[in-house]
Order: sequence, then C-alpha cells, then structure tokens
Amino acid sequence: MVSIKNKPSNHPLAEYIQRLEAGEALLPDTADNVLEVVGILKSYGVVLDAYSRNLIYIAENQFLVLFPFFKYFNGEITPAKLLRYWWHDRINFEYAEYVMRTMLWHGTGGLDDYLDSPEFKQRAEAAIQAKLQGHPLMLGLKALFPEFLPEQVRMSCYYSALGQFWRVMSDMFLSLSDRYDKGEIQSIPQVVDHVKDALVAAAQLSITYAVKLRGKTYEIIPASAGLTFLTDTAVPYVETIFFRGTPFQGTVSYNAQAHQISPDPSRFNYGALFADPLPTGGAGIPPTLLMQDMRHFLPDYLREFYRRGRRGEDDLRVQICVSFQKSMFCVTTAAILGLMPNPGNTLLPDEQKANRVYLESWMNRFLASRLNEVNDQPNSCPVALPEWS
Amino acid sequence: MLSALIWMPMLGAALIGFWPKGMNPNRSRLIALVAAGAACLWTLVIVSQFNPSHVGQQFSEFIPWIETLGLNYHLGVDGLSLPLLVLNGLLTCIAIYSSDVAIQRFRLYYALVLVLSAGVAGAFLAQDLLLFFLFYELELIPLYLLIAIWGGHRRGYAATKFLIYTAISGILILASFLGIVWLSSNTSFAYDPSRTQTLPLATQALLLLMLLIGFGIKMPLVPLHTWLPDAHVEASTPVSVLLAGVLLKLGTYGLLRFGMGLFPDAWNLLGPWLATWAVVSVLYGSFTAIAQKDMKKMVAFSSIGHMGYVLLAAAAATPLSTLATVLQMVSHGLISALMFLLVGVVYKKTGSRDLDVLSGLLNPERGLPLIGSLMVLGVMASAGTPGMIGFISEFLVFRGSFPVFPVQTLLSMLGTALTAVYFLNLMNRVFFGRLSEQVINLPRVQWSDRYPAIVLAVLIVLFGIQPNWLVHWSEPTTTAMNASFPVLTLRTHNFKFVTSQEGQELFSHAFKRTLALPEIPSPMSHTP
Repeated sequence: MVSIKNKPSNHPLAEYIQRLEAGEALLPDTADNVLEVVGILKSYGVVLDAYSRNLIYIAENQFLVLFPFFKYFNGEITPAKLLRYWWHDRINFEYAEYVMRTMLWHGTGGLDDYLDSPEFKQRAEAAIQAKLQGHPLMLGLKALFPEFLPEQVRMSCYYSALGQFWRVMSDMFLSLSDRYDKGEIQSIPQVVDHVKDALVAAAQLSITYAVKLRGKTYEIIPASAGLTFLTDTAVPYVETIFFRGTPFQGTVSYNAQAHQISPDPSRFNYGALFADPLPTGGAGIPPTLLMQDMRHFLPDYLREFYRRGRRGEDDLRVQICVSFQKSMFCVTTAAILGLMPNPGNTLLPDEQKANRVYLESWMNRFLASRLNEVNDQPNSCPVALPEWS
Repeated sequence: MLSALIWMPMLGAALIGFWPKGMNPNRSRLIALVAAGAACLWTLVIVSQFNPSHVGQQFSEFIPWIETLGLNYHLGVDGLSLPLLVLNGLLTCIAIYSSDVAIQRFRLYYALVLVLSAGVAGAFLAQDLLLFFLFYELELIPLYLLIAIWGGHRRGYAATKFLIYTAISGILILASFLGIVWLSSNTSFAYDPSRTQTLPLATQALLLLMLLIGFGIKMPLVPLHTWLPDAHVEASTPVSVLLAGVLLKLGTYGLLRFGMGLFPDAWNLLGPWLATWAVVSVLYGSFTAIAQKDMKKMVAFSSIGHMGYVLLAAAAATPLSTLATVLQMVSHGLISALMFLLVGVVYKKTGSRDLDVLSGLLNPERGLPLIGSLMVLGVMASAGTPGMIGFISEFLVFRGSFPVFPVQTLLSMLGTALTAVYFLNLMNRVFFGRLSEQVINLPRVQWSDRYPAIVLAVLIVLFGIQPNWLVHWSEPTTTAMNASFPVLTLRTHNFKFVTSQEGQELFSHAFKRTLALPEIPSPMSHTP
C-alpha cells in the first residue's frame, strides 16, 4: 500500500497541525518545559485535591443553605481554623467556585441539557420539598420566586460535577508527578500520553449527585442519566475554562456600547489558554487566586528553577502562570489527540483529511490564544539588556 | 570652619587621585563617600551653629591672598547660601552612592565628583567676587570631563557645547565683576564694598545685563538653554543629579547674590522685563517638555521651566518672593534630583528612556512598582501638589510675585498646569497599561537603587508638611536682602516705587499669613 501524505496546511498555525499529525504536542519538548509542566501540575494536583473535596462537601452538606458562612471549613469549625482563615492562611476556595459558576453560566455539554430536563426538575423538586419541611420562610421564598431554589440546585449539581472532575484530574496529576520522580516521565509527549491515557481510562466514569436529607437519599443526578466524565465534565470544562472563560474585571469594558465583549458567549476567548499572565494595572491575573494557592505547593526543583529567573521569586505568580499555561496546552493536546476522529498515524487519505479538518477547526480557536507565546518565550529570562539605539 | 567644606572633598579627591597603585573601585568609592559624607555632616554642624536671626555673613574666614589683584580668600555663609550648601552636601553623597560600582576609570571619576562638589561649595561660600569666579570656573572642568568621559553616545558634542556656553557665561560674569570694581574705583573684589548704588543707572543696567546673560546661561533661561538638554541626556545619572540639583543653582544663586544684591536699582528697572523673560522660560520649557519622547529630556526641559519661577520671584523682589527663590531652588534641587535618579533606574533596568518603547512599568510583578510609585510622588511634587515641597515653593513664588507682576505670575502659573500635563503623560505612557513586550523581563531592582530616591522623597514630603524647618534659616536673610531695596508694588493699575520699609510692611502681612510664621524682628529695627 502506498502512503499518501496530506499536503501541508495553509493554516496560520500549520506548524502545530504538523506537530499534532506527527504525534507531538503543542508545547515544544524541552527539558525546561518538562520540569515546569510536571512541577506545576504537581502543585496543581495538590490544590485540585483541596478544591475537589470542598466542592463535594458544599454540594452534599451545604445543600440549599442560603447563608453558608462556613462552607470553606469542610465541616471542621474551630477557633484556630477561623483565625487562620481570617489571617488568610488558607486555600482560596473562591477560585473553585469561580470556575464552577463559569461552567454553569456557559452551560455546555450533557450536564447542562440534563439540568433543563423534566427529570431533573422532578428530582430537584423532591429534594427541595424535603429540605423545606419546617422552614416557612423558605417556603414563602419558593412561592414568591419559584425558579430560585431549582437554580440553586443546578448550581449544587455543578459543585458536585466539578468536584468529581477535579478528583480524577488531581489523582492524574499527582501520579504524573510520582512517575516523573521515578524517572518514567522525561518528555512532553510522555506527559501528554499520561494525561490522555488517564482521560481515556476515566472517560466512562459516571457523574452522579445525591443529597441525604432527613435520613433519606435524594438522587438528583442518577447514574441512569448517563452523564459521564469525559463528555459531560471534561469536554465542557475545556470549552468553558480553557477557551471561553469570562472577561476579567478591569481588563475590558462591560459597557455594551463599547463592544469589547462578544454578545455570543461561544465566541468568548478569555479562558486559561488566552489569559495574559501579566497583571495590568490593578486588574490582577485572571487566575490570581489559583496562582497564589499553587505557590504553597511548588516542588523544590520548580521553586529553584524560578529562583534562577531574572527576578527570582519577585514575579513568582507570573512564572507560575506561564508554567501553568504551558501545562494546560499539554492537557489540551491530550484532549485533542484523544478526541481525534482517526488515529494520528493513519495512512488512509480520507482519514487523514478528516483529521486535518478536525485539527484545523481546533487551530481556528487557537488563533488568538497564547500558543505562540508559550512556544516562543521561555520562562527563564535573557540576561542581556535590550539594545534600542 | 567653612574651609572644611571645600578642603574635605579636595582632600578626598587628592587621596583617590594620588593613592599608590592597587586601589580598587570599592576603596575609591568608600573614600569618596567618606569625604563627601564628612563634608555633608560638617554642613549639618554648621547648620546647628548657625544663628538664623543674624542676617549678615557668619563663620567668616578671611585670608589675604593676592593683594595687588584685590583678591582675598574670604568665605562666609548666610541664609541664602546655607540651604544650598546642605543641598550640595546631600546630593554629592547621593551621586557617589548612586554611581555604578563597576564604573571605568573609577579613580578619576570619584576625584572629579569631589572636586566638583568642592568647587560648588566654594562658590556658595565665596565673599569675594573674584574668588566666586574662580570657584565658578573650577566646577566647569570636572563637569566637562564627567560628561565627556562617562557620557552617552554624543558625549563629546554635549560636553563641548556645555564648555562653550559656560565659558561664555564665565567671561560675561568676569567682565561684569571687573566693571563693578573698576568703575566703582574699589581696590578689592570684596563683596560688601562692591555695592553699586553710586554708579549711574545706565552703567548698572549694562553690568547687570552681563550678569543676567552669564548666570542666565547657567540657570538656564530660554534662549540660552540649549546646552542643558544635551548635557542631561548624555550625562550619567549621578552627574545629572548634580547638574540639576546643584549646578543650575549656581546660576540662580549668582543672580540673587550679585545681580539683585549689587544692582538693586538696575534690578528694579529691569524687573518687568525679567518677569516677562521668566514667563517665556516657564512656558517654553513646559511646552517643549510636552513634546519630548525621551524621559530625561522631558525632565531637563521641566528644569528649564521650573528655574523660570526663580527668576519671576527674584524679579518681583518682595520679601515673600525673595524667600520663595530660596525655597524654589531647594525644592527644584530635591525634586529634579529625584526625577533624574528614577529615570536613571528605569534606564538601567530597561535600557530605554523612550516613551514609545516603555509602558506598564508599574506592573507589580515584573515592573518597577516602587520606582514607579516614587515617580508618582516626584511628579506630584513637581506639579505643585499640596503636601510636598513643590507646592510650598511654587505657592510662595506666585503669592510673592502676584502683587507686583500679576499678568506674568498668572502666565507662569500655567507652567504648573503644563507640568501636570507632561509628567502625567509620562506616567501614563511609561508606567500605566500593560508591561511592554520589549521590556517584559526586567531585572530586579536592588534596594541600593532605591535608597537615594527614598531619602529624597522623604525630604520632599517632610519639607512639604513642615516648610518652617526650611524657611526658618533663610527668612531673615532674604528679608534683609530686600531691606535696602526699593520695592515695586502694584497699586491698582500703576506701578509705584515705595521705600523698602513700606514694602516690607506691605508684604509682611501676606508673608506671615501664608506661612503662619512667628513674629521675627525686622532687621530694619536694629539698624541704628
């Protein structure tokens, strides 16, 4: 059989199409990149573990609690913990909620469809009724605003779904770090393979959600709903958090007349792959809270790598953000390769064409992303001053 | 006592210059810092011993030198020169501290800085016209070499231009001094006997004109200013600090001490013209600053504008405005030194001063946030924001000058608004917005880069909040300068000459109301 290769693509990001067709990653395979990506994913794994536990705790134990003052305490409220909280010696769980709300707002994938189905309404209503027994105030609220409590339940569903998604991702990143420490991971393609394999392995995991009220369990997302890890949480997460995101306050005008924000949320490009790691004025870095959290769990080798930078630890959050963005391009590579319609090394022209169309559609979305920047700009800095004269 | 201010830096320069081979840069720097620091501390000792209520020269030193020439080594200090001496001591220390540790030909460099400082101190202390001229010319040599050797790409051009302009300035000043002595039939160049009231007014005016042009070059005033932007742009940061902070003050000091002091009648005659000249300088400097894209050039043109305020206040010659000249000199010395230091740090870290290249330097993670914040303070001080010394000095300039030259004062006040325009433009373009891609990975700023600017910023705020600490030393002297001075005041639409006593009383109310000063006995009341 004769192998016929596709003609080179004319896409502005053709270089990356070529890489993906050759089974490589969107990020160049260099020793620094491997160190940065694995190191940052380790700290991300630790943080995601905490986020995940808290999200699931809120979904299951703060169900329809209208004033959840202690929702970040995971049920353990002590004066010492309260003091640490006020001193801000804690994980920024607000970031997890920010991500959850962004997913809820964009609402892509099967979970969103299910939350609009009659079955959900029925199950949510049952749980609401159980929760409202003996709460005249809440009953009055429900009578006045009938859509308010179901919407709160939808939000709880997203708390739970994101918590379950991050549970898997956290374990995946921590096992990646363990394998790196053992010397099993030495290149970016190996990182991508690890992520891809883990995503494939978890693809069919069921996403379910139930709350226990007055001794009875109410299944709000039953296994029979057929929601699974890959298509109903991972893909919407990538779409929502990696690509769309939400405009960060202070960086664009919210005034509709300024036309700085697209009226179509599907055209948003404020996600992690687009975020500028540099704060502008007082706006801060969009995932600032996440960077602050990861800062506490950096492995020693990564911290040392950052220290060697021109600013040392002065710009730690920016360096973390740059590394994080690189790692997210690796995760995206895994998702792209995992969802490719045909094997990357297919020799069949039709399959090659289908793959090409598929990859070009991804690249169209990367046009305004920081793909070129993470490829061109090393996190370590040139020492020489620029010459202007 | 006063000679130490000249000879301590000179001794330091000699030590560094003639030290046997093997002296390393750190030792040279240390010796220079010790010499400059000792002179600065000695200045503070003099301040502590200085009697502010005494209006004449204090700590006088007199050594006959070349009697046939009428030249004597006569030093003294009063409320006019004292703040400038302190400024010289402080800025010399800052300039040495801010110098690049790895500077080439370090022995020559530090020796020249110390000689420069000694020359400036000598000029401020000299009570003999010829001695002043010698020191005035002495500082020319080290400054020329500092620009010509350690300057930028066009250092040769800038240094030569500076040399030519300042040489002409020196010639005119010398000619005027010779004229004073010879035409007055004096036998010496001593300052006090050189009062020229006996000379015909036309002669006074001619001699004064020579001084005006001579010192006008040094200040500089438009159109004699063209050497300054070039010198600043090409000079290294420490030299710019000294140039703007101290050396320009030789021009204003000379105008006040010799122009105003020796030719009071002619000064009054030319007053309206001088005020108009000040307006031209202020507006030209400010408008030209707006057009600049090089941060250092912008600060240089700002200096030209701000030195115009000194001329305006001096032209008005009221007790309040004369005091304002001293405050404006100190204020400009501190603020411009701060601005040049900060621009120097920006240039050192980014490699550029171009407004088109730089942006977002206030970035808290990868920019220069503290340097940017200090720049905000410097800009506010320069634009006359209350709470800083710039406000006090400019307010006094306008308050003191307005009764005499209302139109010129109002026009000059535009300069303050224009200062805000060009410096806010600088802040907006260089420090706000997203960090420019071309300077995205700046090296970290060391605390040693920040300390000198912090010291200046603290002083700017301190004297802004408590101006009396500064006014206290100069007010009796500046008031006395006006005592023998016919004052121009505006009465409705007509100018009218009044006696000095009347003038003093006229302005004392406004003066004390403005600063809420305690009652200080008028020097006139002690006159027998």
